[in-house]
Amino acid sequence: MLNYLIKRLLYGILVIWGVTTIIFFLFNILPGDAARMLMGQRADISSVEAIKKDLGLDKPVLVQYLNFLNDLSPVSVHNASDKNSFWYFNREKYHPAFRIFSVGNTVVVFKKPYLRRSYQSKREVSSIIAEAFPKTLLLATASILLAMITGIVLGVVAAIKKDTPLDKFLLVFSSFGMSIPSFFAAIIIAWLFAYVLADYTGLQMFGSLYSVDDYTGEVYVNLKNLILPAVTLGIRPLAIVVSLTRSSLLDVLSQDYIRTAKAKGLSNFSVIIGHGLRNALNPVITAITGWFASLMAGAVFVEYVFDWKGIGVVIVDALEKYDLPVIMGSVLFISVVLVLVNIMVDFIYTLLDPRVRLG
Amino acid sequence: MLQIEDLQIVFKSEDTVIKAVDHISLNLGKGGSLGLVGESGSGKSVTALSVMNLLPAAAKITSGKIFFQGRELLKSGNKVMRSLRGGNISMIFQEPMTSLNPVMRCGEQVAESIRLHQKTDHKRAAKQVMALFEKVRLPRPESIYRAYPHQISGGQKQRVMIAMAIANNPDLLIADEPTTALDVTVQKEIIQLLKDLKEEYGMSLLFISHDLAVVSEVAEQVVVMHKGCIVESGDIHRVYRHPHHPYTQGLLSCRPPLTGRLKKLPVINEFMNSELKNDGYQTPETEKERKEKLKVIYANPPLLTVQDIKKEFPLKKSLFGKTKKSIKALDGISLKVFPGETLGVVGESGSGKTTLGMAILRLVEPDEGRIFFDEKELLQLSPAKMKQERQQLGIVFQDPYSSLNPRMSIGRAIMEPMKVYHLYRNNRERTQKTIELLEKTGLKAEHFNRYPHEFSGGQRQRIVIARALAPQPRFIICDEAVSALDVSVQALVLNLLNQLKQEFGFTYIFISHDLSIVRFMSDRIVVMKDGKIVETGDADEIYFNPKTEYTKQLIESIPKRIE
Repeated sequence: MLNYLIKRLLYGILVIWGVTTIIFFLFNILPGDAARMLMGQRADISSVEAIKKDLGLDKPVLVQYLNFLNDLSPVSVHNASDKNSFWYFNREKYHPAFRIFSVGNTVVVFKKPYLRRSYQSKREVSSIIAEAFPKTLLLATASILLAMITGIVLGVVAAIKKDTPLDKFLLVFSSFGMSIPSFFAAIIIAWLFAYVLADYTGLQMFGSLYSVDDYTGEVYVNLKNLILPAVTLGIRPLAIVVSLTRSSLLDVLSQDYIRTAKAKGLSNFSVIIGHGLRNALNPVITAITGWFASLMAGAVFVEYVFDWKGIGVVIVDALEKYDLPVIMGSVLFISVVLVLVNIMVDFIYTLLDPRVRLG
Repeated sequence: MLQIEDLQIVFKSEDTVIKAVDHISLNLGKGGSLGLVGESGSGKSVTALSVMNLLPAAAKITSGKIFFQGRELLKSGNKVMRSLRGGNISMIFQEPMTSLNPVMRCGEQVAESIRLHQKTDHKRAAKQVMALFEKVRLPRPESIYRAYPHQISGGQKQRVMIAMAIANNPDLLIADEPTTALDVTVQKEIIQLLKDLKEEYGMSLLFISHDLAVVSEVAEQVVVMHKGCIVESGDIHRVYRHPHHPYTQGLLSCRPPLTGRLKKLPVINEFMNSELKNDGYQTPETEKERKEKLKVIYANPPLLTVQDIKKEFPLKKSLFGKTKKSIKALDGISLKVFPGETLGVVGESGSGKTTLGMAILRLVEPDEGRIFFDEKELLQLSPAKMKQERQQLGIVFQDPYSSLNPRMSIGRAIMEPMKVYHLYRNNRERTQKTIELLEKTGLKAEHFNRYPHEFSGGQRQRIVIARALAPQPRFIICDEAVSALDVSVQALVLNLLNQLKQEFGFTYIFISHDLSIVRFMSDRIVVMKDGKIVETGDADEIYFNPKTEYTKQLIESIPKRIE
C-alpha cells in the first residue's frame, strides 16, 4: 500500500514536471511580448528593457526554463547575498520559505512554490488561485454530491422497476440530461428559476459565493447562489450516474451470489442494497470521479452564465489578456489537483472492492 | 418432509413455451436422502429452485403442489418463505466461485444468515460462525472468517457455502451440483463432509447431480430426470444394478470404465434409440493390440521435447519492481511427446498443468528451459516464426462458455484462424472448409451463421474443437476440454476427439484433473503436483500400479460404483 502510494506520487511528480515543461515552452514559442503586455503600447523602450531584465526575459530560454522550475520546486537553490542576481533569495517573492543549508553564497531553501505575479493586476498568482479555487471546489463538490446521491437512488429505483413506465421515464430523462449542452441548460435554468419563478424561489440570476449587503455594505457568504449553478452542472453527471447505476445493478442482480443472498432468506431490500449495490458501484465511481476531476478544472460556461467567480472564469480572463503567469499557474495547479484526485480514486476502489490490489 | 406433487414449470419467452418440468412427483422423508440425476436442461435445478421459491422471472409454475412439513409452499406468502429460506430449508449451489459475494468477508456472509434467523447479536453470531467453520473442516477458521472469497480456494469456498447452509440447523438441505466445479480429490472430501453433517444434524438431503456415480455415494433413493420428466426412480442400489430405463442405462455406461480399455464410449442416444450395436464397446482393446500400437508410436523420434522448463509468477513486488514473493507454477518440467501419441497430464488445480500447456504454445513465456517442436527450438524463434509454428499447434480450452466470442458467428470464429494463416485461396473456399469442419465435428452446415449463445455446452465444445482444427494443426493440447460438461456429453466429446485423431493422425496432450478420463484417452500419463512431475509412465501401468501416494490419492478420489 505504502509502496504503491510512493510510486504513484513519484509518477505524479513526473507528470507535473511534464506539464510544466510543455506549458513553459508552449508559451515561450508563441508570439507575444510579455513586457509590452505589462507596460502597454505606449511604454518607452528603456522601461520595457528594464522590465525584461527584471523578468529575466533577456536570458536564454533554457536559463529561463531552469529558473521557472526553480521557482516552482518546493526545494530550490538561490543566491543569498547578491541582490542583483537573478537567483537572489528574495523574501518578498518566496514566502513562507525556510533555509535548509547554505554553502558560501548559495542557499538551498524549502518554500511554497512561487507562481509569480499577474502581469495585469500585479497580484501574486497563488493568491488569485487561492481566492478562485475554493469556489470551484465548492461548486464541483455540490454538483457531484447532488448527481451522485440523486443519481444512485434513481438508478436503483429504475433497476428495481425495470420495464415499467417509471423506468422508461427515467431512461428518457437520462438521455435528455446527457445530451443537453450545459450553457443552454444554464440559461434556461437561470431564466426559469431566477426570473419567471423568482418570486417563489427567491433566487438571483447570478451572483458568487460572497454577496455584498445593499444597505450595510457588509460582505456575507451567500450559499443560495450555489443552488442554480450546482444543479445545472449536476444534470449531465446525474444522467450518466442514473443509467450506469441501473445497468450495472441489473447486471449484478443476475449474479449467482444474489441468489445465495436470497436463499439466506434476506428481504429484497437487503439483497439489493446490501449485496447488490456495493458490487454495482465500481463503474459508477469511475464515472463520478472522472466528472469531479473535470469539474475541478472549472466549468467555464456555467461559471460565466451565473457569474460564479471560480477558476474557469479566471483562466478565460487571463487568456483574453495574455496574462501568462496566471494561465501557467492555473494550468499547473489544476494538473496537480487532477493527479491527486486520481490517486485518491485508486484508494476508493480498494475500499469498495477488496479484489482490487494496488501494486 | 418434502413432497412434490404433479409439478409443472414452464419457461415462457416471446414466442416459445418450454416445459422445463413436466408433471413430476417426488417424496423425501425425514432424515432421508434423495438423489436427483439428469443432464443440464433436464429440469433438476429448476425443481430445486421451485422449492426455495427462487425461480427466475421467466419461469412459471403452471400446476402442482409442494408440501414442506405439511405446509403448502406454493401458496405461502413471501414472508413465510423468507423465514423458511436459510432457516428450515437451505441450499448449496453449483458454482462456489461465483456464489459468494465478492466484496463481503466470508465469515460475515455466514454471520448475516445467523443474525437474521436466530436474532442474535454480532458477537454471538461470530462465535457460532467460528464453530461452524471448524465443523466444515476449514483450516484456520479465524483467518478465513476475515478473508474475502477471492483469497481462498474453490474447495474452501464450497465449505463456506456449506457452513452457511447448515448455520441454522435446517430440516432440509438442497445441494445443487455441489462438487461439479471442483477437483476430484476435493469432491471426495466435500461428499464425505455432507454425509457426516447429514448424520449429525439429522437433516433430509436433496442431492442434485449430473453424475450418477457421485449421487450413488450419498443418496439412498434416486430419481432420474430427462427432459423435464422422471424416467426412473427407486432405491439407489436397484437403479444402479438393474436400470430399467434406457436413459439410465446410458447414463451409467457413458463414464469411462474402470477396467479394460474401450475404443469408443457408449453414448446415451444409442441406448435411447436402441441402436446399441456391438461395435467395439463390449470388446475392449486387447493387451496385444495396444502393445503393437504403442510399438509403432515409440519407434519414431519425439515430435515435442520439453526440457527442464520453469515458470514463476510473482505474488508480491517491491518498490522497484523486484519480485519479493512468487509461486513456482512450473518447476523443472521435462517430457517428450511422440507423433500419434496421446499424453495425459493429470493433477489438481494449482499443480501447474494448465501453465504447462500455455508454456508449450508460448502463451506464457517460460523463464528457463528449452522446448523443441519438430526439431525447432520454440523459445528461440522470433515472433513471426513463432506465429508460423503456431499453425501446427492447436489448443482447446476448458470453458466452452467463455472461450467463444459472443458477438462472432461460429462460422466466422472457425474461419478466422484460416485467414490468419492465409490458408486457401479465398473466402469461398474457406467457407467450404468451415462447413466440412462443422460436419466433421458433428454440427450442421446451417449452424454457420448462428451465434454461440444458441448452442449447448457440448455443442460449444465441438465448435471450439472445430476452431482448433481450422489451421490444420498436427498437435493439439486439450486443457480440461470436458471438465465443464455433463458425463453424457463428456462421452460424446471424448469419442469425437478420438475419432478425429484416427482420421487426421493428431498428437494430443490431454490435460485433466480426472484420472479415469485421462487414462481412457492416453497412452502415457504424467502426474503433476506443485509444478513438478511426480510420476510418469504407461497409462495402464500408472493406473493399476501407482508408485506415489499422490497418484494413489487421485485414483482413490474417482467416484466408485456400488459393488
